[in-house]
Amino acid sequence: MSRIALGLIVLTGLVAAVLVGGSPQVGAQGAWPTSDSYVNADKDAASWLLPARNYSGNRYLSETEITPANVGTLKKAWSANVDARGPLETSPIVWNGTMYVTSSHNDVYALDAKTGAVKWHFPYKPHVIAFSANRGVALSDGKVYEGTLDGHLIALDATSGKPVWNVVAAHDLTNTFYTMQPVVYKNMVLLGASNGDWGGIGYISAFDAATGKRLWDWNTIPGPGEAGHDSWSGDSWKRGGGAIWSGIAIDPATNTLYADTGNPQPDFLGTIRKGANLYTNAMVALDIGGSKPALKWYRQFIPHDTHDWDPAMPPVLFTGTVNGAPRNLVAAGDKGGNFWVLDAGTGALVYRLAVSTQKGQNTEPNRKGNIACPNTNGGVEFNGGSYMPETNAFYVPSVDQCGIWKSQGTATYVAGQFYLGGSFPALYGPSTGYVNAVDIGTGKFMWRKHLAFPQIGGALSMSPGLVFTGGVNGDFTAYDAKTGNVLWHYATGMTIQAPPGSYVIDGKRYVVVAAGPAGVNFADPRLNKGAPTLEGSYKHPTSATITAFTLP
Amino acid sequence: MRTIALGLAAVLTLSGAAPARSPVDDHASALAALADVRAAVAEIVRIEDGYAVGHGAYLRAAHRAMNALVGRRDDGYAKSFGDPGDGVGTLGHLDLMLDKAGTSLWTPAVQGAKANVLAAAEDLQSALAQKEMEEYQADLTRALASLALVVGRPSQSGVLGGLSGALANTSLGVPLGALSASGCAAPVRAPAYGVVAGRLAYVALPRSAASAGIPDDLSVARVVVQGDMVVLYTHAARDAAALCRSASRLQRTRSVVASPSQISYTVAQARAGAAVYRRYCLQCHGADLQGTAGPSVAGADFVATAQRNSWSLSDLRTTVFENMPFSNPGSLTPKQYAGVMAFLLASNCYPSGAKPFPPTASPSFAKVKLAAVPRAKPANAKLGTCPVK
Ligand code: HEC
Repeated sequence: MSRIALGLIVLTGLVAAVLVGGSPQVGAQGAWPTSDSYVNADKDAASWLLPARNYSGNRYLSETEITPANVGTLKKAWSANVDARGPLETSPIVWNGTMYVTSSHNDVYALDAKTGAVKWHFPYKPHVIAFSANRGVALSDGKVYEGTLDGHLIALDATSGKPVWNVVAAHDLTNTFYTMQPVVYKNMVLLGASNGDWGGIGYISAFDAATGKRLWDWNTIPGPGEAGHDSWSGDSWKRGGGAIWSGIAIDPATNTLYADTGNPQPDFLGTIRKGANLYTNAMVALDIGGSKPALKWYRQFIPHDTHDWDPAMPPVLFTGTVNGAPRNLVAAGDKGGNFWVLDAGTGALVYRLAVSTQKGQNTEPNRKGNIACPNTNGGVEFNGGSYMPETNAFYVPSVDQCGIWKSQGTATYVAGQFYLGGSFPALYGPSTGYVNAVDIGTGKFMWRKHLAFPQIGGALSMSPGLVFTGGVNGDFTAYDAKTGNVLWHYATGMTIQAPPGSYVIDGKRYVVVAAGPAGVNFADPRLNKGAPTLEGSYKHPTSATITAFTLP
Repeated sequence: MRTIALGLAAVLTLSGAAPARSPVDDHASALAALADVRAAVAEIVRIEDGYAVGHGAYLRAAHRAMNALVGRRDDGYAKSFGDPGDGVGTLGHLDLMLDKAGTSLWTPAVQGAKANVLAAAEDLQSALAQKEMEEYQADLTRALASLALVVGRPSQSGVLGGLSGALANTSLGVPLGALSASGCAAPVRAPAYGVVAGRLAYVALPRSAASAGIPDDLSVARVVVQGDMVVLYTHAARDAAALCRSASRLQRTRSVVASPSQISYTVAQARAGAAVYRRYCLQCHGADLQGTAGPSVAGADFVATAQRNSWSLSDLRTTVFENMPFSNPGSLTPKQYAGVMAFLLASNCYPSGAKPFPPTASPSFAKVKLAAVPRAKPANAKLGTCPVK
């Protein structure tokens, strides 16, 4: 072998050596969150460091000055307008008095968290493959990270908003983009790709937080020779889908990453991909302590899905009381209208509860078209829910819709287009929503509220007994966690499909939520004319706004 | 350069290991495939150049070369003769690269390499059956010729470039995890790989690293010293630059749909289609067709996408007729769909004709590729769209 003088091989060595030796990372020590800040994010009342506040993915606050008794006096503190060419789905990150948010087309804004004044603005002009959406940034060591609609991962200087590096992160730029909010864990930026309706194969990647260098990818579809590969007929696995696109949870004690994988492809044509189609529509638990992830366990929610009913809700890790005893659990929710509770250690099913109307679920779409519920954007959506220990309840909004599903009998892959084998369903009948409180002790409803509009805003629960969430008609509402009674509401006049957040500045607690145009998925014809809300009527807006509330 | 053994060792461990969890590291696979070919060639050359050592030695050489090519999983593998390669074999590595989703710019080169490896393996097989030395040598010579094509040369891309050509000129040359940047702009930092639509345009090295020597098998067409880095432009750089220029020309000026003779719509139809668009499409694709929450459907950005993905008129028609409006697919009448197609074609500066756009699909649509309309004068030069009045 010694006679193989291959320059390129040597080049690999060189590049590796230079990267490892790398330029020293300069960062003002102490000025930025560290690995410890993330692990202890729950104890930091002032900040909101991770998409759902903590690695558990549980959008819950254990101490607050806002209570069921005084929430009625909550007032708007400020609002800030951002680029409005698409829906706002951003989960604000707050650190040291600065709030970092994104617009649908990847503009990043640093706002003064006390006044909403813009500190810096990073504009970006991505090519849009399918639809515009972005769920927010990650922050670490003086950098703000964003995954973009054109498949890049960008690091900005958190103080100035100037780009530090920009890498092509997606493998196939014709059919892959990013909407997920990246998560920083140890030295890694974790990011999953959206390609699961466009003919790709799902993967989640880890990038070096300092340099953007790819550390690993984990593919959701097993290739030849790998366990699970035989759950696909023929070559169907090659465009099998299973995108990891919504959110993730991490248990730092065991280095376990919990992720939900998306629907198989072609979405509506099961006959050309016979089998269970692993690991689509599943929760996977990955050991990410080593140099490459290792699958610990998986639980497939809907084997061989033919309705794009992927588990959109990000996993939530919590210790709940089941049958009188504490148990480490992980919750999931899918667009098929199921809310799932699993054992966090093994993935064993604890129970399942239908939170939306379910109908026609065992019939594959055919050429004539058949009715099935929920509709494609029904069930539990991508902002998910939250667990509150005080009530031992899980709060999860849901969408109640039915659709008419059709398949075309064949599927052709065209780069940059949907790979469906059919078409997305047309809405059939009413379009409503629920806010559900699930009693974790029994797996039954503690209460649920039926609302006139789909609920996709995601829930924030706050002790001693509040649940905040927003609907597509723009109502931002605080419910009594025990009864579901409405204690406070505010009409944003825009569609809410972003999750609420909360932070403290100068001793004052704020609640924040983003709202904007409906986007491609939640356009509601009722809103064209002006639809009733809790306060006046609502029309499709032309602005997109971050609004913060506080007590007087 | 040969003194740096580290990279080599790392690559070999990667490729020698059991197939790692996907994604396969294609760069490492290509290097390992090349190493196996070179090991096979070395076996053959050694025996041909050496002084005859009897029939047995020739057989042994052919078997060993075969082993390096086909790998231990193949029936043709003869373990007892030993394997100068890594055991996976050139074929094993190439299959790993080919057996997966999607295609890349380098796929044809790898497919070509595989065909040539198979041809060489056939010649070796035939050599093993020969009794006459001359025939044996003729077979080996043929095998060597095929293997030379597998190795190829860095200065050429496509099938003729073989594996070295693909490594030197396409994204296959980018090691897993290395930084790649858009090859349209000059590099801003090193080390970095400049890539344009699958072509490797440059490799930027820090000056300190480059001063140790320029890698042998990189296809360096031009060397530029830029600040504290050395930028090695490949032979694919010219091609890449042309692509960058045409992409930016598209962005700067005009747009769309080609093959005027094959498409037709009427002005009246486009006008009616404008009303359909306003009512059913505007909310997602915008008043100026540049996309809001949905993608652009006319102008420079749309055309660039259509060209990059080589969309045909049939692809466009299928999207509109079967998947739009996204919130209620298939809900319009064929006449409304034909009208909105006419509106999209007109907005993309395609000239109107005497015949209306048909409400039913025509097989010829699949042959019409969307591209910029020659000599079109978009009224909106910035967006590259033509208004429908
Ligand atoms: C509710 C939002 C919505 C409405 C209304 C809508 N579209 Fe779309 N459109 C989309 C989305 C999302 C895509 C991306 C599809 C994909 O990725 O394959 C798209 C893609 C397209 C494309 C292909 C462009 C590309 O880059 O993929 C065309 C052409 C198009 N739509 C035309 C129309 C027409 C004509 C109408 C009205 C009859 C319409 N659309 C109504 C959301 C919408």
